[in-house]
Amino acid sequence: MKPTEVQDAVAKGAVVLDMRPPKPFAKEHVPGAVNFQFNRADLAERAEMSLPQDLTYIVHAEPDPIAKVAIGILSKAGFSVDGYLEGGLKQWKADGLPTEALPLLTVDELKDGLDRYHVVDTRESFEFRFGHVPGSTCLEWTEPWDQMEGLESEKPLALVCGDQVRSAYVASVMQRAKMDAALVFGGMVDWLERGYPVEKSPKKAKAPRI
Amino acid sequence: MIMKQFRFEPLAQASYLIGCPRAKEAVIIDPIDDLGAETYVLEAADLGLTITGVFETHVHADYISCARELAEMNDVPHYLHESATDLVQYSFTPFKDGQVFEVGGVRIKTLHTPGHTPEHTSFLVTDTARTDEPWCVLTGDALFVGDVGRPDLLLGDQALDVMDEATRAETLYRSVKDRLFALPDHVEVYPCHYGGSTCGGVNMSGKAASTIAFEKRFNLAMRKDTPEAFAAFVKETAKPFPDDYARIKSYNLGLISKDAITEAAV
Repeated sequence: MKPTEVQDAVAKGAVVLDMRPPKPFAKEHVPGAVNFQFNRADLAERAEMSLPQDLTYIVHAEPDPIAKVAIGILSKAGFSVDGYLEGGLKQWKADGLPTEALPLLTVDELKDGLDRYHVVDTRESFEFRFGHVPGSTCLEWTEPWDQMEGLESEKPLALVCGDQVRSAYVASVMQRAKMDAALVFGGMVDWLERGYPVEKSPKKAKAPRI
Repeated sequence: MIMKQFRFEPLAQASYLIGCPRAKEAVIIDPIDDLGAETYVLEAADLGLTITGVFETHVHADYISCARELAEMNDVPHYLHESATDLVQYSFTPFKDGQVFEVGGVRIKTLHTPGHTPEHTSFLVTDTARTDEPWCVLTGDALFVGDVGRPDLLLGDQALDVMDEATRAETLYRSVKDRLFALPDHVEVYPCHYGGSTCGGVNMSGKAASTIAFEKRFNLAMRKDTPEAFAAFVKETAKPFPDDYARIKSYNLGLISKDAITEAAV
């Protein structure tokens, strides 16, 4: 699909699935895009676990051969896919279309400003119980989108996972809902490597809902 | 660090992905057209890695390279040793001997190891997340497991051949002895070919990995004491020339189109 065709489809409700790694996604992406990591081995399974079945998707992956493979996998899994963004972000920008960024935080920035953020941990609950950033809320990445979008917070959200794949997915869904969400790059791996404090909880802490 | 060896069995060819799981970046070394650029692109994507460069140890004569296509597809540089500038008819990003490339926490240092071809370069790899000591070396067609690259793949075009066969053999001997065998014993050896390939002699092992220490002790060609004895041994143990090598090399140099290779072969 040409960039303007993608733009028109998005205006009609299609969702751009951006399958690039979180770093380039955070730097720049098609406004409203959801970051969903590519992997031939488990893409279908992860999509079935977490993506709404009633939406229409447009794939954005670079270079184009990845997008073609992703469309095949998603279509076979029963998802409705319109096509892919031909020529990627380079073509999108060459056609003068706007992009947006996802705010990034390092674990050091999170540690220094811990009282200013509401930390949301997007790993599975068993990982969360094992150890998490003190004061954080568990919101598994497989939760339905309306649950992610309905997280109540006075403070900006800081999204955490093991590294940044699941957290980037949840952060991007939140960004679509105009929520103030930042991605903590490096996640628990970097947090633990720095020796920063962790909290353990005996059972899953449920996130407050609107 | 992440390292993956891709094997194309019909030509006993090995290409490589080397990447950093933290930086989520990777480079591809010696990609082969028989596997196709998409193979490397999809493997990198499966690992969540962005391809940041394509390297070649040398301009190959026995298989069609897809380095140009892969670099273009990913909009990243195609790296070759600077001495290839006078040989190839397309633009690439030249590197010098001893140049260091950082792929996240992985360090790749170029070691010019001419002989098989004048521009031939090996890549010394260090995983700085573990140590500053090198861990492995991609030896291309200089050092194979159990053998060395053949120094006699000449095209009969003086402008391209640069060195004669005898000079190449001596140069190769010195490259392996003085440069590769000067590396620490523990360094692993990953070649561009293994047993069955016509780029080396009859003593190539089917095992596509070794160590500097093992090759120092048991590489038959390199156990010769003089460049002359080495050259004679390499000639005696050589295999027939690879199929279509002149046309393949011409394509890899950018002299003819890909169609021209197959048309001529039919």
